[in-house]
Amino acid sequence: MNQWDFVIAAYGVSVPALGWLVLVSFNQMRRAEQAVDEMMRGRK
Amino acid sequence: MKAKNQRLFLIILAAVAMLGAVVLAMSGLKDQAAYFYAPSDVLRNPPALDRDVRLGGMVRKGSVKKLADGVTLRFVVEDERHAIPVEFKGIVPDLFREGSGVVAEGKFVTPDQFVASNILAKHDERYMPPQMAGDKHKTGRVS
Amino acid sequence: MHAYANPARFLKIARPLTGLLGLVGGTMLILCVAYGVLFGPADYLQGETVRIMYIHVPAAWLGMAGWSGIAVASAMQLIWRHPLAGVAGRACALPGAVFAAICLATGSIWGRPTWGTWWEWDGRLTSMLVLFFLYLAYMALSRAEREADGETSGEGRMTAIFGLIGAINLPIIHYSVLWWRTLHQGQSISVMKGSSIDASMLWPLLGAAVGASLLFGAIVLMRMRAELADTKLEMRMRRLAAL
Repeated sequence: MNQWDFVIAAYGVSVPALGWLVLVSFNQMRRAEQAVDEMMRGRK
Repeated sequence: MKAKNQRLFLIILAAVAMLGAVVLAMSGLKDQAAYFYAPSDVLRNPPALDRDVRLGGMVRKGSVKKLADGVTLRFVVEDERHAIPVEFKGIVPDLFREGSGVVAEGKFVTPDQFVASNILAKHDERYMPPQMAGDKHKTGRVS
Repeated sequence: MHAYANPARFLKIARPLTGLLGLVGGTMLILCVAYGVLFGPADYLQGETVRIMYIHVPAAWLGMAGWSGIAVASAMQLIWRHPLAGVAGRACALPGAVFAAICLATGSIWGRPTWGTWWEWDGRLTSMLVLFFLYLAYMALSRAEREADGETSGEGRMTAIFGLIGAINLPIIHYSVLWWRTLHQGQSISVMKGSSIDASMLWPLLGAAVGASLLFGAIVLMRMRAELADTKLEMRMRRLAAL
């Protein structure tokens, strides 16, 4: 195998893993905070 | 003593005790946890013949010879104090070079002859562009 | 230290900081890694595969930094009962686990063309794998504990104790290559001895590490905000149910 294949494989694993981490964390935060905002609005 | 300080003291005590235990265990396990025998380890404490072990060290410069059959390699693994001849039949990794690190998996057939069934390359912690390294390492290349 | 114990005050700072850290860190990480991979030099010995370093090394550092964060937060929680410490510790777990996994995966891919093997049970590789499993155990424990004593407070005392105990693996990872014979090479960068990585590779590597650290901070803030909001919702639900 070509040396570059290993480099591409390494980033091919890392980039989706990091993307998933950011996306999951961001979505959890947004969903929870939106629910709190709605709750506060409902209380007024 | 305030409860807060008491907890702080207890946790520091626990941390120191744990750290001490780890240091002791790590130095105690130095031989068992070693991934390979260096040649000087073999001199000090020779492993049993025909037992699967790993031998690690530097490939002596100028020692790599290919036998007439075209697949068998002979070379010498050395450290500062001792050197052991190794025989290996098969394909070595790209980074297997003379003057570079190697870990050979195999057996001692006699106390002075190691037969490897697998070869791993061990590189050091230096990274640099080729033009910086000069021809320091190019000469050692095994074709 | 307790000045930011109030979640409202914490959120006032955390909200703008999350986006700032995420954007600056993400941009820095991408630019430095891209520079290293596309324009950096090949290695004299390894050739092109050295480019895996720009993600492998920051991932290793952050995998370990994540547990350092857990340990510090656990100590603050157990000693000073800081109300946000438990939240902060738990927020470090998933990013730490992902970075540790990236370190292991890229290391394996790097090991094949250089050492000639995908995996070997040497001291460094094994202790790093242990770190990854510790993260999994920590996350399972924190979830179980939160479900078990959600009624009382959900403080997570057991989780914090586990976080402190698990920290003993950190010096083992660090010193494994110095104290034991390993296949993994010794450390390239040390405070005392400087770096044995050439400057042309070192600067993009350090830039990527700083960028990844900032991104890590942003993810921790996101996860803290998510847990704080979830707790608020839960409290509200319970109050409604009690009526």
